[in-house]
Amino acid sequence: MKKTILVVDDFASIRDFVCDTLQRKGYQTLSAANGNEAFKVLVEKATEVNLVLTDYNMPDCTGFELLKKIKENPDVKKVPVVFLTTESNPEKMRSAKEAGLSAWIKKPYRSETFFAQIENAIDNG
Amino acid sequence: MDSNQKRFVEDALDLLNELDEGLMQLEMNPLATAPLEQVFRTMHTIKGGANMFGFESIGQLAHQLETLYDLARQSQLQISDALISLTLHAFDKVRDLLKEKDVAKINDPEALKDHLKAAANFLKEVEAGSSSDLTKTSITIHKDELATFYLQISPSINITEDGNHPLVFIVQDIAGLGTSKVILTKKHSGEVLHWEVFITTTTPQSELESYFIFVENECAVKYKRLLACDLFEQPQFVEYLNTLGAQSLDMAKIEGFVALRKEACDQQKDEDNDESANNASGKRTAHDSYIKVSKRKVDDLLNWISELIILQAQLTTTASSIQSAALADVTEQLEMITARLRDTSLEIGLVPVETLVTKFKRLVRDLSKQLDKKVNFISEGSETEMDKDVIEMMTDPIIHIVRNAIDHGIETPAERRAAGKSEHGTVKLKAFNSSSYINIVISDDGKGISKENVLRKAIERELISAGDNLSDEEIFDLIFHPGLSTASQVSDVSGRGVGMDVVKQKINDLRGNVSVKSMSGKGTAIHIKLPLSRSIIEGLLVNVADTRYVVPLNVIERIDRIPYADINRENKVCKTVVVNEEPLTVLSLRQQFHDEVNPPKTTDIISVLVNGVKKGIAVDKIEGKMQTVMKPLGDTYKQQDFISGSTILGNGNLALVLDPARLFSLTQQ
Repeated sequence: MKKTILVVDDFASIRDFVCDTLQRKGYQTLSAANGNEAFKVLVEKATEVNLVLTDYNMPDCTGFELLKKIKENPDVKKVPVVFLTTESNPEKMRSAKEAGLSAWIKKPYRSETFFAQIENAIDNG
Repeated sequence: MDSNQKRFVEDALDLLNELDEGLMQLEMNPLATAPLEQVFRTMHTIKGGANMFGFESIGQLAHQLETLYDLARQSQLQISDALISLTLHAFDKVRDLLKEKDVAKINDPEALKDHLKAAANFLKEVEAGSSSDLTKTSITIHKDELATFYLQISPSINITEDGNHPLVFIVQDIAGLGTSKVILTKKHSGEVLHWEVFITTTTPQSELESYFIFVENECAVKYKRLLACDLFEQPQFVEYLNTLGAQSLDMAKIEGFVALRKEACDQQKDEDNDESANNASGKRTAHDSYIKVSKRKVDDLLNWISELIILQAQLTTTASSIQSAALADVTEQLEMITARLRDTSLEIGLVPVETLVTKFKRLVRDLSKQLDKKVNFISEGSETEMDKDVIEMMTDPIIHIVRNAIDHGIETPAERRAAGKSEHGTVKLKAFNSSSYINIVISDDGKGISKENVLRKAIERELISAGDNLSDEEIFDLIFHPGLSTASQVSDVSGRGVGMDVVKQKINDLRGNVSVKSMSGKGTAIHIKLPLSRSIIEGLLVNVADTRYVVPLNVIERIDRIPYADINRENKVCKTVVVNEEPLTVLSLRQQFHDEVNPPKTTDIISVLVNGVKKGIAVDKIEGKMQTVMKPLGDTYKQQDFISGSTILGNGNLALVLDPARLFSLTQQ
């Protein structure tokens, strides 16, 4: 069965680009434009989504807030979350890790690194 | 175009300048990682933004080029002149496109087609001939934060070196952060025991550590900062690593290399210290934070401040007539604060000439390639600030001067060798402040301007007669003469754009002046002097038959007082009078524009330099030096172009600001 990834980014062009990339690699994708929308989608389709791939800096609900919401909700807290971001502040990375983040992919990424991290996160939670 | 797109275009144009700068650095230093990273990052931002704001073709182009530079980052591609030229040309086109105000035009798929194709072909060639080489040794030169680290990464899980575990890629990513060498040690079973990485990078240790945050349960990492410079510059170290084979590392030996390198490094740093002290002021401005403000707001502010300056002058006049000590006190303080406010507000509109400098680096590079000359471009004082409008107005003239310097000044490498010079010519742009002026000096070490040629041409074209005895300055000034300058631009390169006469005209329009120095065989220097502000002018306030005029201070050479009778001869407006024991062509403002009723007993002759020739303006009386705000006169007076504007004096009266060059051309007609 194809694995489904929920892609969250406020910039449509980047979101679509990431979805395309994932689809070409054989993933199914869902997308959301911000943290709140993403959380709604995730709760509705909790059983389908294998991974949440989200931007860090977004208006309204940031990636970090989304992460906390997911990890605090017993229905969806098992879904691994990965950040895809240009942010690279070690302290933010550390606190995200403590909040239950599975991987932090820095933009610009190399595609091997990208897929290895995603695979690893899906397999190991 | 919506406002987001406009903002993006503005940002993107800035980014393109940064990109140019980065590419230029990269070209000079193709192995350095810092400019490569900068170029890559900038392209990435442009790509992201272009896609984000609906400029797909630009995004596509940026993406393709980014791919190439990404390969370079991974050492699968060498930075070459061809790649840099390709990139520069592609982004030149992008820059032109972005300046179009029409989204449809910007997105015209035809516009970037050629560049896309060129980039795609380049990529194809690279892919065809690529052999991935991860054990690269590139040389990084970064004086500030560069350091060499030793990392030992021991996985606690069983993985192979070609496995799909993130750790494998993290090690590769780390190695890609600078000059590096990875040594892999395997267990008997073939799995990874540990990686040992030597890396010279500007990335701080905390960031290196951050790469491992999400795999810390799967591995143990040891860090050691070996020293604050590039250990890969120590040949014995590189040789030791290369001949290591299957032996394990001997850290004692490494320590030995570190000690050797440290000594060499410390010496180097001492030498660099002087230089960095000089750069301190530049660094401070770099650390300033900035906000973007619309030009209209700044213009408004300046406008109100100029009103304030006028009011201030009126207040001072009124206060002095009232003779109240308390009022005088307050007025004096207000005067001081107004002056400070004026200076600060003037600075707001100023931007560093750096933007200009980047453009010239490009120009010099392109031109020297085109003309097969070897030219180094040096800039000095690029942090000097100038009015943004003035920078824009001066760009074309300076481009023309730089073009001339390369085209006519710098010789071919063969000629230079024959003359005993180094093959590389130098074009230097130096900017600096002096009182309320900005100075820009463009110099080259080429063959210089031939006085004989200039004289011959000037005589041929009947600009001067053969018997004229001209000083060097006057001869060089002839190159700005409309009859001479345009015709001498025969070559394809300098032929484009403006002639030297237009250069001079533009500088005059800004109330600046330009002078030329040249020595045969040694080179030429063109010195442009511009007032700091376009609206605030320093001038001499003069009185002619109850009308007040302001003569800009920058053109004034000297002042003499002679009896009025001396110029009141014949009925001619322009005549020659002996002043300071020299004959001087004098124009009397009184005779030109006023009647001669009640003439004064004496007249003040202001000697000004007009197009390199000294001429005199006769006025009734000089009232004093003043700094004032110039106001445009409006369209009605446009034809009276010998008046460049007006100003309001402290007593509320009007004074007219003269444009001496136009004043004299008026009387010649």
